[in-house]
Amino acid sequence: MKHLRPINKKAQRIDDHVASLTEDVFAMQGENTPTPGMHVPTGCSFVFSPGWEVDAAGGAAGLCAPVERDIYDCWFSCYWPAQVPDHLNNAPDWTAKCASATKDWRNLDLVFP
Amino acid sequence: MGVYCLGNECRRLPSKLVFVWLAGLLLSGLALAQSPATGESGQQDAVDGIPVTDPLVVAKCSGCHRKDEKGNLTRISWERTTPEGWQEVVKRMVRSNGLELMPDEARAIVKSLSASHGLAPEEAKPVMYMAEHTLPDEAYPTPTMRTTCGSCHAFGRPASWRRSPEEWKLLLNMHIGYYPNAEGAAAWRLTSLNPGDPGGTAAPPAKGPKLVDQAVDFLSKNYALHTPEWAAWRAKMRAPKLAGTWLVKGHLAGHGDFYGEMVVTPGSSEDEFNTAIKLQPVAGGALIERRGRAVVYSGYAWRGRSAGTVSGSLPGDVPAEMHEALWISTDESQAMGRWFWGSYDEFGFEVQLQRASGAPVLLALDRLSLKAGSQAQKLRIVGDSLPNQILPTDIDLGSGVTVRNIVSHTAHDVVLEVDVAANAISGKRDVVVGRAALSNAIAVYDHVDYIKVLPENSLSRLGGGSQRQKGYQQFEAVAYNRGADNQPNTADDIELGPVEVTWSVEEFYERFDDDDKEFVGSLSGTGLFTPALDGPNPQRKQSRDNYGNVWVVGTAKNEKDQLGKPLVGKSYLVVAPPLYVIWDREIDQ
Repeated sequence: MKHLRPINKKAQRIDDHVASLTEDVFAMQGENTPTPGMHVPTGCSFVFSPGWEVDAAGGAAGLCAPVERDIYDCWFSCYWPAQVPDHLNNAPDWTAKCASATKDWRNLDLVFP
Repeated sequence: MGVYCLGNECRRLPSKLVFVWLAGLLLSGLALAQSPATGESGQQDAVDGIPVTDPLVVAKCSGCHRKDEKGNLTRISWERTTPEGWQEVVKRMVRSNGLELMPDEARAIVKSLSASHGLAPEEAKPVMYMAEHTLPDEAYPTPTMRTTCGSCHAFGRPASWRRSPEEWKLLLNMHIGYYPNAEGAAAWRLTSLNPGDPGGTAAPPAKGPKLVDQAVDFLSKNYALHTPEWAAWRAKMRAPKLAGTWLVKGHLAGHGDFYGEMVVTPGSSEDEFNTAIKLQPVAGGALIERRGRAVVYSGYAWRGRSAGTVSGSLPGDVPAEMHEALWISTDESQAMGRWFWGSYDEFGFEVQLQRASGAPVLLALDRLSLKAGSQAQKLRIVGDSLPNQILPTDIDLGSGVTVRNIVSHTAHDVVLEVDVAANAISGKRDVVVGRAALSNAIAVYDHVDYIKVLPENSLSRLGGGSQRQKGYQQFEAVAYNRGADNQPNTADDIELGPVEVTWSVEEFYERFDDDDKEFVGSLSGTGLFTPALDGPNPQRKQSRDNYGNVWVVGTAKNEKDQLGKPLVGKSYLVVAPPLYVIWDREIDQ
């Protein structure tokens, strides 16, 4: 493909499609951009299965769906302590205003420890 | 959750087992909390502590942190950190350990410990992004540190501390007591990383030190309690003398460059100051006036806030209040940092300050590049104390650039008309006006070879549907020339400044039917990304939230490649669920 150049719109679409399949999670803005391992924005929790901001592959496809369905488990087990309050020490009453997170998620407090 | 994950393998544990497990960890956490009071941390014989001499700190802390005959308080004397680090500690002691403090006492303790157990300026500078609340492309020193620390939070958190080896171990124990899942999820008990796994978490058991022990060893060696930098700064530290006029130049993403001044006057104590700030866009625009106050911790760490009129009602417009975090150079002649605001502190001026000495100074230009062969190009140079008489011969813009005419000039700016030779060599040039110079201030180029969308990796957060606010992201497009080696994307490439683009969002193909682009939010004509609402979205499969990952694309309006197609730059944007807890807080003042 390196030696072929699209000369009409259909060929360009094929070119774009191939590019979309070969691109990875790096913000590649040039051919020579180094790609040393997975790259995600600073502060993202990625290693858990799944992560909060990104999943273990650096994308968003593997995140909880929806987040609110599982959020009490995150709170109970301190699963993402940098993103969700934990019940062990810092926010034992966090769920008091919200019996079912799936329905009442708007009532959950934003916590500033 | 009842789910325990090691690498990519997760198991759901029976609820009774979860209870027993958590109870055990809770008890181990309580035991750890007791150890400082009973003086069981044995490192304190191996490494000299830093005595605590402030009577207030001793009075409030020594009830639990036992004082020895040298004046050391357990734990505290073997740690150093930033003002933000000490503030977090004090808050945790109040929240979890029953410490009772008045607000003034808490502020005084943070001030005192930041001076006696702070970081040297050289140690603080690499982690200023934590105080500035930016998301830089953080460099992890080793893959192990990325996995053991960076899995949950920025590496800037441990890098903001200096501890004795035993203190690093106790920090690890604190994590297990307070956040027990970290042990499994951050792969602490594994012994090696699998290079084939991008997350660095899945690895077969092997002999050798565990990752967590490797991490403690690394931190003990590279972030030690006693360093030459701290020894030098302890001797040199003095009350800051910052009163006077400081010249400011700044950049606000999406709004361009600004210049102005900050007049600093003494405050209520020797480390507190009041400020009056004036800022103007270099390209012309309304004056921004603000007043504020600041505390300088450790002799160099400026933490302040200012208030003034708002510049508009859109997200990213200058608000009524903003925070300040500055690093003051040790000779107190310069400062750099960020003045920021937003629910996630995502907006802010990147600022550089220098003392106004009365000598002529150049601060900024209204454009960063000139095209070879162009004629009668207008160029505005802003500065301070510029001479009354300026002739074209007093101005030097480097080879191939000729000053045709001085259109106007004042003590604060000079407007020129310049011609650029067709054969001018591409590259940066210094700008000189009389005795004042600005290095690498303007570039000459023959062609725009590519554009970048900045930031290259970014994070926006859903919000607005609940108590959690939206986390916006402002993008900019910057043009580049290929440089002397004739190859794009190499180290010698020349930045040419902002370029006009048409903004769009493209799908980042991650799965077969990826549809993130339709839900994550919208991108304005000025490159401001506004995320969608948080919460489940019934319109998506599985009521998935509006999160996702997309390309933010800037398509140049005027610049084209060799085939005549518009130049395109791309940036990777993660639109994430909101934070339900915000740890990284500004200093309370």
